[in-house]
Amino acid sequence: MQTGTQARKYRLQGAGLDLALPYLMLAPGLMVVLGVLVYPLWDGLRASTRAYRYGSPISNVGFQNYVQLWSDAQFLNSLWVTVKFVALSVSIEAVLGFALALFCLHEFRGIRLLRTVLIIPMVITPVVVAILFRLIYASDAGMLTALSEAMGGGGVQILGNPLNAFIGLVVLDVWEWTPLMFLILLAGLQSLPHEPFEAARVDGAGSWRVFADLTFPMMRPVLAVAIVLRTIDAFGTFDQVFVLTRGGPGEATRLISIYGYDTAFKFQQTGYAAALFVTIGLVVLALAFSAIRLLRRVDAS
Amino acid sequence: MSTRLARILTTIFVLAIVLLPIYWLVSTSLKSNREITQEGTLYPHVPTLDNYVRLFTEKQFGSYLTNSVVVTFFSVAIALVFGAMGAYAIARFRLPFAAESKIGLFLLTLRIIPPVVILIPVYLLMLSLGLLDSWLGLIATYTAFNVTFCVWMMESFFREIPVDLEEAAMVDGDSRFGAFRRITLPLAAPGLAATAIFAVLVTFNEFLFALALTATPRAMTMPRGTATLIGRIDTDWASMAAAGVIGALPIVFFALLVQRHLVRGLTMGAVK
Repeated sequence: MQTGTQARKYRLQGAGLDLALPYLMLAPGLMVVLGVLVYPLWDGLRASTRAYRYGSPISNVGFQNYVQLWSDAQFLNSLWVTVKFVALSVSIEAVLGFALALFCLHEFRGIRLLRTVLIIPMVITPVVVAILFRLIYASDAGMLTALSEAMGGGGVQILGNPLNAFIGLVVLDVWEWTPLMFLILLAGLQSLPHEPFEAARVDGAGSWRVFADLTFPMMRPVLAVAIVLRTIDAFGTFDQVFVLTRGGPGEATRLISIYGYDTAFKFQQTGYAAALFVTIGLVVLALAFSAIRLLRRVDAS
Repeated sequence: MSTRLARILTTIFVLAIVLLPIYWLVSTSLKSNREITQEGTLYPHVPTLDNYVRLFTEKQFGSYLTNSVVVTFFSVAIALVFGAMGAYAIARFRLPFAAESKIGLFLLTLRIIPPVVILIPVYLLMLSLGLLDSWLGLIATYTAFNVTFCVWMMESFFREIPVDLEEAAMVDGDSRFGAFRRITLPLAAPGLAATAIFAVLVTFNEFLFALALTATPRAMTMPRGTATLIGRIDTDWASMAAAGVIGALPIVFFALLVQRHLVRGLTMGAVK
């Protein structure tokens, strides 16, 4: 009798614990996320509707901060610089990465070395990548100047000139992130089925035809995902610019994240900066969700 | 023959593009500031390790390195434990109102939002908790970022493992959690490794929050400390180059060591 009840008790305890198990397993992670991500997100939304002085809120201004953004010439310029930077960098990375992935698809000697070396740019701390490029571009200590002088030329000006500095930043991003594009696209190419390509070879199709009619259409979803991932990531670029140019010269390389940082921490306009960051977040989310919708349509058709 | 030549040339070209900037960094770090700015040599004519010694004796790089290692270790370890449990719950259980898949989607959405969006409120939060310029403030922040990432990565790894194995263990008398710990977790070890590696890379390299949340060598991490060397007008190129080498070395070494896992982690989400 006693043992029977005890057995039932154990069983019930087991059942109870098993029922609660999913919640118990989710709880710790969710608590951290709620405390350090979700609460700040909500707090940021609240801050974006306030005016601040010396770091403390003084009045509610509703959506005024958001409205003000669109008549702020410096914000509009930083948005434009960011769009230019993202579009240019990501498209160059996609083309180069795809070309390199096609090139590496066939095994040959040296390919393992190549793949190993290509990991380096994307794992190096972004701050150090910026230092690498400052050491290349610097007009006194730079590699370009040293090379130019070794060949009898003069000093090279990169970071002092607005257009050159912007191009210099794009080159940095291409150097750092083409390898990621390459790795994703290579993995995509390697996962394509073999049959269509064999059939095409039997039919005597040239390599351009194979690429245009088979490889490219089949790779489109992977290519799209890679481009979307990189675009979202590039929109938040901060470290490299902060160390390379600090946004200068003038506003030539001042990306939206740098402008937001300065607004918040240099000019202490906390509410206005919060509105700016919320706007960036919404733009990126909209971008991501429209990309996902687009991909679903491509998949379905 | 011509394709072979083309391959060799392309390989050499790509290797040169990647390695030349790195060569220049290392070579600059071995020169004196005088040699760098006045002679413009292509390789160190009078190699010196002074720049490295100076980093540790005058510029507190020992503290930066300690801070980075401590903060990275704890935020990744905690996030792995919490994240693996959460991912398992999302992958295996069916909760009322499909809550588990809603939570999964919610965490993914949080991941897409650029971190810079919550920079100001996290700064205000740490300010009000008195956690500015402390290990704990950085660890809490990085743990949260890493948890969303770990859940998202681990979920797909758990889905690949057949449920039958756990059920067999439970028939043999294991509890549900026991089955998770003894059967599923070891099978997901490669996935766990890939997740941990990626989280270590991202955390060790993080700069934006370290910039806002730390101010002294008490809590400054390597990237944050390196950035303090960069003056506005007069730049100490030699120290900067040496700092770049020291800052990059541990993480590059680590990445090359675990290369295979890393490539898998980097490319997984996109190809699937």
